[in-house]
Amino acid sequence: MTIAGFISKNALRNKRRAALSVMSVAVSLFLFVTLLVTMREFMLPPEDVGASLRIAVRSKVSLAVPLPARQLPLLEKIEGVDAVTPFTYFGGKFRGEDFTTFAQFAVDPARFTNVFVDVKSPAGQLDAWIKDRTSCIVGKDTLDRYKLKIGDRMKVTGTFYPCDLDMKIVGEYSGTLDDRSVFFHHKFLDESLSGNNVVGAWWVRAHSAEDAPQAIARINQAFANSSAEVRAETERAFQMSFVSMWGNIKVLIGSIATVVVFTLLLVAVSTMSMAIRERFRELAVLKALGFRRREIFTFILAESFGLAMAGAVAGAGGAWLFFHNIDISKISNGIFIYFEVTPKIMGTAFLVASLLGVVAAIAPAISVARTSVVDGLKTLD
Amino acid sequence: MAATEPLVTIRGLSKLYSQGEIQVTALDDISLDIQSGEFLALMGPSGSGKSTLLHIIAGVDKPTCGECHVGGIDVARLDESALADWRNQNVGFVFQSFNLIPVLTAFENVELPLLLTRLNSKQRREHVMTALDLVGLADRAKHLPKQMSGGQEQRTAIARSLVTDPRLVVADEPTGNLDAQSAQDVLGILQSLSQQAGKTVIMVTHDPKAAAYGSRSIHLEKGRLAE
Repeated sequence: MTIAGFISKNALRNKRRAALSVMSVAVSLFLFVTLLVTMREFMLPPEDVGASLRIAVRSKVSLAVPLPARQLPLLEKIEGVDAVTPFTYFGGKFRGEDFTTFAQFAVDPARFTNVFVDVKSPAGQLDAWIKDRTSCIVGKDTLDRYKLKIGDRMKVTGTFYPCDLDMKIVGEYSGTLDDRSVFFHHKFLDESLSGNNVVGAWWVRAHSAEDAPQAIARINQAFANSSAEVRAETERAFQMSFVSMWGNIKVLIGSIATVVVFTLLLVAVSTMSMAIRERFRELAVLKALGFRRREIFTFILAESFGLAMAGAVAGAGGAWLFFHNIDISKISNGIFIYFEVTPKIMGTAFLVASLLGVVAAIAPAISVARTSVVDGLKTLD
Repeated sequence: MAATEPLVTIRGLSKLYSQGEIQVTALDDISLDIQSGEFLALMGPSGSGKSTLLHIIAGVDKPTCGECHVGGIDVARLDESALADWRNQNVGFVFQSFNLIPVLTAFENVELPLLLTRLNSKQRREHVMTALDLVGLADRAKHLPKQMSGGQEQRTAIARSLVTDPRLVVADEPTGNLDAQSAQDVLGILQSLSQQAGKTVIMVTHDPKAAAYGSRSIHLEKGRLAE
């Protein structure tokens, strides 16, 4: 027999309790990991390959304030800028749904794919889209979700734009992180609005990632002190401006995660205390046989740590497997595109489990250490 | 150590307990010598202090005053860690209710004290099997405590007390939970440990028949040695 064997036999002596302890840790850590991933997805949306080159240009006043279409040629002349497309959020409803799971954007099709280089479309479909100003391309996920096919009509009802759009689907796209959106001609939107010479925002592709910061500075400077000052920023910064609206959500999720960990701690301490309490006699005998306090503490710590880590493997590992194999976009109705359990989150979960194992062992270990051999042995009779 | 030199020398030993504001005298100025190889039966009524005396000699309790030398070492002066080492090397314990670890086999229970030594697995196995053989339980090595009778459990506990080859074996009512036949077997083993293996055995008992197995009996009453 080894010390490790002795510890594992002790840990598993009450198999039902050991299993329930491991399960309680596992379920709590699964929830903890889920909350951490949720928070991460809110705070750090995923980026695709071209994100480091893309620059969002919007009104300095507010995202809701449009920019004049005349800015396009000026933008295209700025050093370090390779391509520009207008990019206006339409925000229409589809088939009367309360919550439409895909966004619609008005863009310049000819310029669009130069900025969003990740967009992949079957041969000929992009050309067909460029040629037909009443057509659109639809993300593959949306096509699949609504069982749409090429040639079908895409009718969206305007919500904050006073017009409805009826477009022909001439293409599908994929290859981006979010293959759900619908892209259509900005000219078609302008016509529907009877001569709308504004855009919601511009998306720009910088010449290189190294050029991007300077390009941003030049864009901001180019429109400084004009009637339509702009705020250019990286795609990441642009996304984070939306995220800042989730401030309270972050606190809420953080609070729930803290409560989960604290509750888990109480359960673990209670379980370990019970497990040790009923072995007080045996631990007193071990002391009598010559085992020192630190060895007894090591036994308790190893047992507690082992159970916590088994729970971590089941809970955090289970979360990793679960979120790795499900389509979170479908389950969350498109709120989340990805639900990635990162190594950092796994590390945090295992760190929490480790601390839990250590903290849960402290109270019973102190209790055993404080009890003399004689007092422990007195519980024998 | 000379053959005539006592293994245990106790001088002016007292033990007081505080129960609230009341002080209870468990042992009162005890002086006693126990020779090496002796089988001493400590007798007396409940509360006479015999278990307390046994615990102090075995190094699991401390006296309030006085000296208790075992093998020339004043055990009362050893710190917690040194005392644990000393117990592991010098004292074997036999308890009334056996106190085997229920999830360990007889072999593993006997092996427990050896986990604190530098012996390798093979050496430990040899020691354990020798101890189990000595108490007639070599064929029960793989049995769990619940698969053994009370007498077999207590013999396993004796094997555990012997496995480190201690000079002193202390037994607190070792036959208290046993039937007559098993009690005889256990007492016979303790007697042979003293007579044949030269171990010093100190046994607390209420039973005069059990005490008769010892080479000497002493009585305690109200914490003092009876005349």
